[in-house]
Amino acid sequence: MYYRVPRSTWYRIVVRVFLINFVLLTNLPCGYKLFFAVLMSNNRPTFEMIKISKPVYYPSVIKALLAVAVVVFIHVSAIAETIQSTEAEQAIVATERWWGWEFLGRLHPLLVHFPVTLLLIGAVMELATLRKFQSQLRPGIRWMVFLGAASAALAVLFGWLLASSGNYGGDTFVLHQWTGVATAVLGAVAALLLWLIRYRHTYGLILVYRGILFLTAMGIFVAGHYGGSLTHGQDYLIGVTPWAPQDEQLAEIAGGPTSMNLDWVSFASASDSLSAEQEADLNIAARTILAHHCYQCHSSDKSEGKLRLDQKELVFKGGESGPVIEPGNAQKSELIRRITLPAGHKEAMPGKGKPLQERDIELLKLWIDRGAPWPEGASQGVFKEAKLAPRKPELPAATTGLSNPIDRWVNAYFEKKGIKWQPIVDDRTFLRRIFFDIVGLPPTPEDLQQFSADTRPDKRDRIVEALLARNDDYATHWTTFWNDLLRNDYTGTGYITNGRFNISDWLYRSLAANTPYKQFVMELLDPNESSKGFIKGIEWRGAINSSQTTAMQAAQNVSQALLGLNLKCASCHDSFVSNWKLDDAYAFANIFSEKPLEINRCDIPTGKMADTRLLWQELGNISKDATVKQKSAELAELLTQPDNGRLYRTVVNRIWAQLMGRGIVAPTDEMDREPWSADLLDWLAVYFVEEGYDIKQLIYLITTSNSYQQPSMSIENPDMINSMEFVFTGMLKRKLTAEQFADAVSTAIHPVYPISSLKYNPYGGAEQYQRANTFVRASLVQNDPFLTALGRPSRENVTSVRDGQSNLLQAMELTNGELLNETLAKGANSWATHYKSSDELIRSVYRQILARDPTDKEHQVAQGLFGDTVEEAQVQDLLWAVVLLPEFQFID
Amino acid sequence: MQYNRRNFLKTASASTLAALAAGAPLSGFLASCGAKSAATADTVILLWMAGGMAHTDTFDPKRYTPFEKGLDSQRVLSTFKAIPTALDGIQFSEGLENMATLMDKGTLIRSYVAADLGHILHSRHQYHWHTCYEPPQTVAAPHIGAWIAQELGPKNPVIPAFIDIGQRMTVGEAEELKAFHTAGFLGSEFGPFMIPDPSSGLDAVKPPAGMSFSRFERRNQLYTELLDQSPIGEYASDYQKESFRRSMEQSYRLLKSPEAKAFDLNDEPKESYDIYNTGKFGLGCLMARRLTEQGARFISVTTEYEPFMGWDTHENGHVRTRDMKKLIDAPIAQLLKDLDRSGHLDRTLVIVASEFSRDMVMEGRPGAEVLHQVEQPDVINDIKNYGMHRHFTDGCSMLMFGGGIKKGFVFGKTADERPCKTIEKPIRIEQIHQSIYHALGIDPQKHAVVEGRPFYTTPDGVHKAELELFGG
Repeated sequence: MYYRVPRSTWYRIVVRVFLINFVLLTNLPCGYKLFFAVLMSNNRPTFEMIKISKPVYYPSVIKALLAVAVVVFIHVSAIAETIQSTEAEQAIVATERWWGWEFLGRLHPLLVHFPVTLLLIGAVMELATLRKFQSQLRPGIRWMVFLGAASAALAVLFGWLLASSGNYGGDTFVLHQWTGVATAVLGAVAALLLWLIRYRHTYGLILVYRGILFLTAMGIFVAGHYGGSLTHGQDYLIGVTPWAPQDEQLAEIAGGPTSMNLDWVSFASASDSLSAEQEADLNIAARTILAHHCYQCHSSDKSEGKLRLDQKELVFKGGESGPVIEPGNAQKSELIRRITLPAGHKEAMPGKGKPLQERDIELLKLWIDRGAPWPEGASQGVFKEAKLAPRKPELPAATTGLSNPIDRWVNAYFEKKGIKWQPIVDDRTFLRRIFFDIVGLPPTPEDLQQFSADTRPDKRDRIVEALLARNDDYATHWTTFWNDLLRNDYTGTGYITNGRFNISDWLYRSLAANTPYKQFVMELLDPNESSKGFIKGIEWRGAINSSQTTAMQAAQNVSQALLGLNLKCASCHDSFVSNWKLDDAYAFANIFSEKPLEINRCDIPTGKMADTRLLWQELGNISKDATVKQKSAELAELLTQPDNGRLYRTVVNRIWAQLMGRGIVAPTDEMDREPWSADLLDWLAVYFVEEGYDIKQLIYLITTSNSYQQPSMSIENPDMINSMEFVFTGMLKRKLTAEQFADAVSTAIHPVYPISSLKYNPYGGAEQYQRANTFVRASLVQNDPFLTALGRPSRENVTSVRDGQSNLLQAMELTNGELLNETLAKGANSWATHYKSSDELIRSVYRQILARDPTDKEHQVAQGLFGDTVEEAQVQDLLWAVVLLPEFQFID
Repeated sequence: MQYNRRNFLKTASASTLAALAAGAPLSGFLASCGAKSAATADTVILLWMAGGMAHTDTFDPKRYTPFEKGLDSQRVLSTFKAIPTALDGIQFSEGLENMATLMDKGTLIRSYVAADLGHILHSRHQYHWHTCYEPPQTVAAPHIGAWIAQELGPKNPVIPAFIDIGQRMTVGEAEELKAFHTAGFLGSEFGPFMIPDPSSGLDAVKPPAGMSFSRFERRNQLYTELLDQSPIGEYASDYQKESFRRSMEQSYRLLKSPEAKAFDLNDEPKESYDIYNTGKFGLGCLMARRLTEQGARFISVTTEYEPFMGWDTHENGHVRTRDMKKLIDAPIAQLLKDLDRSGHLDRTLVIVASEFSRDMVMEGRPGAEVLHQVEQPDVINDIKNYGMHRHFTDGCSMLMFGGGIKKGFVFGKTADERPCKTIEKPIRIEQIHQSIYHALGIDPQKHAVVEGRPFYTTPDGVHKAELELFGG
């Protein structure tokens, strides 16, 4: 039975505010005055100063305002809290008892503020008078402690009444209960001791009293914290911090709650019965919510209350206290009742983790009201899966200045989100972006000068075209990305025992020739001698785990790198973060295996032989008993057909992410997640196919768009990048990759690597390379501590995006690492001999490295380094400082 | 593999929050106190016997058969005499006299059983020992030092949390070594700070070669001032820039900190230096001691793996094992004594371990014999054939001292006749790792979520520490 307590929130606010001021004012001269004395003093507060005998310092205006602000803040927060807690309490279900007990019980949250304030201030004042027990604060302290102890006892009593109303339970409650009681007891003991001290003034007694008082104060923090958790929810306090613990398994599941994705409003308004398709969608959306929020305790692993929510019959069967769903009537369904109880209620669900969002609750209600449809043979798993088929949505009309199809899609997105287009970035910023993105090098000052002088309206399109035509530079730069993705490297595990093959030459030539992506993938899947390294995987000597056979590696790597999905879990057991099953993974791996594979579950043979099939059977069938060569040829054909939207969405998304810092879907390895614009992604994928699988054409389209040329986004919290809440307004600021940084230093200062370090030479001989290049590009050398520290991965596993964060080892490499410092020393040498005046030198350093003149202040600072002469060491230090500026380190 | 690590890694252990407890949420702090077992160690020193140290010729001697022409290989179990240790009834092999006097200070494990990984490749077993996972793996598995660095952070903020001393990455099989000398998916932030040669260890933590401290200071000042002047507003709030700036400051702090002196072995009194100086490994032990005193978290000192060198005795095993013992005996003993004297041993777990053992005739393990890699004649006529030249995985010795480990205790037993395999209390790498985590108070279920799935410090997080190793 529900009832509302006839009590006005206003009444409570008045009481609360009165109490606060009572507490503060009754303790004059130590209440307000204490605050003010601390706040207004011109020095840091010391214990001495708080003694009222000292003169109170008169405030400056700012400090007075600050003090007022503190008092106002106390009031406002108290009022806000009162309103909140009143509303929460009003929703609580009451059992039938004399209302008076309950009423008193409900005064507990209000009453606890007495001991909190009194005892804490008492303790603070005690702390302030540690040196002298009989200070002028003493009478105040006595009042604080006595009143505090008394009110603590009362608060505990009322708390007990509230608890016995039966609405509370759980670990947090028990912790609050007993820390509260303990604190009250401690408070009482402290008060008793203080009273005794009046009669027996000994040092020992004072020590014990103080100790207990401080313990009490700590107890108040702990009890108060748990009390707060009860009222506001477990993670209320730390939930806003970046370190908030998250339900890591569920939070990471692809897609997030699908109530976000389903246009369920249309269901709510549809007065007629639902179509079969609608029913299926609704069912999946509801089950997804159950999976995310309930499976943790109510599925095959753990069935609390004998309830399982992961299978149709079991969902309708209910738990030990009966059915939880009454199809057609959400209001009467136990499940809905439980998930709508206020947090802290002992029957509230979910018992663990975050409460359901309003939207999710609405969707579950809708689902039940609609008869809880659960179509037989609903084959779709509960985890969101992106559609496989390609889709070409109709392009929105061009508007003024926005003719590039990407801009037209982004415009539609911006309109929906209420985002305004910003003016495109200036020439210098654009040029730096485009150079690094297409050829991996910084523009030289001459490049910039030339570009700025160009007045043709289409000069940006032209420079993109020109850069894309630099085939070798393009291939050299993009080889880094593809090496990471195809886990290809010049050195690494496996080579030592001939268990690994390098595809560098094939890759470089494919990129330089801009091989259509379809053919590129076909050559990877049905390889020739020069491209077989990707499928062959890495073989170490000795026996290996059955989920790491080279056939299974191929299945995993093809899935991750080319299809943006994770088959790693499913290669050991049915996945619990996706719908992929062990059978699926083995059937796919079987394509790459000469001998038929036996299915192993967690490395234990099951006796069952694996099927041979694609992950999506609608793409076609693979011959079961054919040779690997034949199966590979079939695979290459089937996987690259235009109908496989997945393959092409994955690659356009990867290219987008390389250029924009974040994919349209993120992370790029989880293509089942929701894109921020499905239309844009789908359209781009189809465009890519229609344009002949032309990656350069795709890059051209993206980089000549206004969307690419918007000001870059700063991200404060890296968690936001892959979050569903990400809102696109332009590219993310990006740190130079290890290779870009090394090449930028080589370009602007001095070659980082000698010709002897070239590990792969596309030109054949050293001389030919040197004729075509002024220095050795970092993407063509072996991984070393410098590149590793700056983020080049060991290519033992697929890496699709590198880490953007810096760390100590990296900074050490930049600060005292041999390679960078020696390079800078060599550069400094030629600079120092060339420039005799420091003024000239500084200007030249800024122009060469940052492609601009130093500001007056920068010039002045740099000038401070030099005396009358230009010393090599000073030049080296200036070069070092400039290349470590964010302006050089980042692509803005 | 990762966009940004943090998004993928939500480390489960609540104790991560402990680091933030200062001024941070009380609940996190309390939870961490509750979830963690009380730590008995703050620092771990791993003394790595790279290449496979034969148990019967070191810490688990069997019947001694001296060399003579015409010796039957099958008869040879140990090629050294046994010597008494400080522990009654427990013997070491000759050449370990210094360590023998300290056997009452720690625990000797005689029943370590290495994994069966088929045709043996040292680096695979070493990978397994250090990461607790058999290579290859679908994701880059972190080194135990990286897990510890990630969970506990540095003990002293200016001493890197994971320091690796003595391994050059230019040797054969280096690529395989690199595969586990890494923080893997935890991110390079937690990776090893490599000091390949301890005698030039200071180079790693001082201003670049040829740069005076005053110049270093000036350079840093210039950088900070230019940073202030540069059009930085545009970057002000970006997390990447923020972490870049922070790490630069941290590096500057380390390079100019007085603690960096710990890396400078020239600072050590000559007398002490000479005791340690049996070679690179000995100096590594000295550096480990100096770093421990300054607050290091995890240090690995290796005899250095290089195929067919060091403990990897494919021939002339007897002579080379004698030399190896000369290399390790004095410095390990001195390290333990020094740490004991300064009181650090109480909170420092020192481990002496190797990837597997060796035998004269048995390759792999009984029952799962694998392709052997050394021709061992039935009858020995040349001293170069006298020694433990084949790889043996079924009974290896390991030592643990300090950090809450039992004193004067022997765990497990191997057979006294060939095959000298484990016959009592077999212990595997998962339990060893869990025991180390136990000593450090790290949750046995600690894991990271990588690519959406949980990855535990030990496979599936189901293994337990061996509590018998602790106490007293």
